[in-house]
Amino acid sequence: MTLWWYEARRAGWAALLGPPIAVTLGVSAAFANPQPGDTTTARILLGALEMAVPLAAGVGCASLVGRDPAVELQLAAPTPYRVTLLRRMAVTLAWAAMVAGLTAAVLIATGWWARWPANHGPFAGQLTWAAPTVGLGAVGFAAGAVFRSPAAAGALVTTLWTIQQFFAEPAQQHLPGRLLYLFATTRGAVPGDWTGNRLALLGTAATLVALTLVLLARSERLIGEEEE
Amino acid sequence: MTGQTASTLGASLRYEFRMQFRKRSVWIVPALTVALFLLIGGSLLRDLFDPGERPAEARSAVVGLAVQVHALLSIGYGCLLADRLIRDDGLRVAPILDATPARPGARLAGKYLGAGAATAVPILAVYFGLAAAYAVHTGAPHALGWALATCAVVIVPGLLFVAAFALTVPLIMPAPLFRVIFVGYWLWGNVVAPDMMPTLARTLIHPLGGYPLDALLDFHGIDGDDTLAGPVPGATLNVLRPDPTPATAWLSIAVLLVLAAAALAGGHAVRARRA
Amino acid sequence: MRIEISGLTKTYRGGVAALDGLDLVVPTGMFGLLGANGAGKTTLMRILAGLVQPTSGRVTVGGHDLSTGAGRTAVQRGLGYLPQDLGVYPDLTARQFLDYLALLKGMDDRTARRRRIGELLEVVALTGDADRRLRGFSGGMRQRVGIAQALLADPQLLIVDEPTAGLDPEERIRFRTLLAQFAGRRTVLLSTHIVDDVAQTCREVAVLSRGRLIFRGTVEELTHRARGRVWSVVTDGPPPAEGTVVSALPHEGGMRYRVVAPASPAPQARPVEPALEDGYLALTAR
Repeated sequence: MTLWWYEARRAGWAALLGPPIAVTLGVSAAFANPQPGDTTTARILLGALEMAVPLAAGVGCASLVGRDPAVELQLAAPTPYRVTLLRRMAVTLAWAAMVAGLTAAVLIATGWWARWPANHGPFAGQLTWAAPTVGLGAVGFAAGAVFRSPAAAGALVTTLWTIQQFFAEPAQQHLPGRLLYLFATTRGAVPGDWTGNRLALLGTAATLVALTLVLLARSERLIGEEEE
Repeated sequence: MTGQTASTLGASLRYEFRMQFRKRSVWIVPALTVALFLLIGGSLLRDLFDPGERPAEARSAVVGLAVQVHALLSIGYGCLLADRLIRDDGLRVAPILDATPARPGARLAGKYLGAGAATAVPILAVYFGLAAAYAVHTGAPHALGWALATCAVVIVPGLLFVAAFALTVPLIMPAPLFRVIFVGYWLWGNVVAPDMMPTLARTLIHPLGGYPLDALLDFHGIDGDDTLAGPVPGATLNVLRPDPTPATAWLSIAVLLVLAAAALAGGHAVRARRA
Repeated sequence: MRIEISGLTKTYRGGVAALDGLDLVVPTGMFGLLGANGAGKTTLMRILAGLVQPTSGRVTVGGHDLSTGAGRTAVQRGLGYLPQDLGVYPDLTARQFLDYLALLKGMDDRTARRRRIGELLEVVALTGDADRRLRGFSGGMRQRVGIAQALLADPQLLIVDEPTAGLDPEERIRFRTLLAQFAGRRTVLLSTHIVDDVAQTCREVAVLSRGRLIFRGTVEELTHRARGRVWSVVTDGPPPAEGTVVSALPHEGGMRYRVVAPASPAPQARPVEPALEDGYLALTAR
């Protein structure tokens, strides 16, 4: 447990503050609506979970590789550094999940969850935030390992997120795009694709993390080579 | 400006430009962005070269292209610049720089202009590259003139605004957190409809350049039926949305530049207090 | 832990050869590694610590082959490593930092871990500062934390790269003594620019130059390389043009130069007894 506590500290303030700030901003945006309409407000509230939490988690995971001041000591320890990085990613995602889960519970209890017609229920519906959070987290983790620069990896995660926001329609024109679309609950083009989309995001995330762990096995890349 | 200050500014600008220009990610991130954009269909990028789909006027085509390029690539621009000022501390060069007689304000300005310009090079290359291809493809050389004008009154002020905040805000919060908040702001402050929630979109503080687009470039969306600036019935913050005129367009540009200068001054003060 | 290195080559991207067909055996005890900047010392240290993979060649540590994952892990379980550029987590206290690294080294027993950390903090004279954040530590204090973390798991192999950099003279002497006492039946590989550190602690030494081994033997043998080549020159004129000036001291209106040169560098030069530094210079100046 102590080791997990240390890894939580290493994940950094951004990983800790990002999800609650993101949810707070999303919820504030929902209730700042000057022309209240239950469906629109509910959509923004679920959007805070489906959009804001994954963005925070994704940027948090993108910042895990390439900024460790004690990387040489880490690499010389018998605990593989990639396992350490995986722990930090797990902590980042677990914290985001806790914030999102609590928010979802409040939305369910207050009835806002049910006011969005495409809510997929209180249980399977948790994939609303879980799938894009894990998906974007994996993209961030992989980009961090490839670039070894939180700035570049963060830029890639935010750009991917923004492209799917700005160009929701073209992004979902074809099936592969629909399956990898992050915001299928609140901006999904084909409701029937939702389950497939959520599973595809989780599967892609698992594949990306596996590939990233293979890449991180080459410890030499991690020493003093952060792109400054 | 004294000779020493000018020399500091020039040296800082030149070397910050070089260091940032050599960063692979400054090139990879915009390249991947354009690749992703093309992969999902590319909307206007694709339509520009389709005689059946492209806008009738060269002006609408290249100004519309600027809006899409600016909206999309500025995200990576802000994220890539977010570590440039705090980097000096991380690399332990800050004490060496602080021990020189160079004025910190001039160094900051040089870093701002140098790193900002270097990070903008790929964005401008993408924009002018596509605009030139369009001009050749359609036989409309005047499209390049519109591209230059759009760059001057929309893209450059917007990037100067973004760069100032991207450099200085990470002095008071972790850079990754800034990236999250910046993206949220970019969406909220540029794209969200004002009648949906209080937003800075379509106000004088609009880095996507609603006022210059409307009043200086007479651009109202690709299809000509969008409103990019001015009051919105029922919206809050309409006090910041005067009617779009050339005067308010220049005022909007000035507001962005003043806010950028204020952000830099704030950053300078924070660093001075910590020194 | 005996280290056996044969035909070790490391070529970095861009074709830079840091190590070029190195053959070396390091026995148990203190062993010094000398060489100029860029000689390949840090690359060798990193390969031995399992951080960097060689381009070719074979390395075994205590019989474990470093080219295999299992071999690397086995070596790392008995390894203490102090890198040249020690990075720490500034938000942790010295005690927390050591606790974290102890966990990564597999020291799961909380009581034993705490006891060991307490002992080491005492050894490096940081008990009074143990609960202060590392952010406020001076360079020398951080280096002492680095030394403590290297000794955490009572390693059989201790690799220390420029360990006395940033330490004051008293700390330096204390650390040298600590290393020598620690060595015993263990292997301590000491890489340094400070020839005196090797002279005071090591019986055997190797010298690297441009990735190759140019000397391996005892400290006395390396010193002997300068016999008949060390000169004292007193002059009020410019320093001797021939040879390498080791030191320059003011002397009765002029200067006294200590020079390493194959032949007398000036008519008034007189031969003097060599030290290890002279031997090193005589070897590398060739």
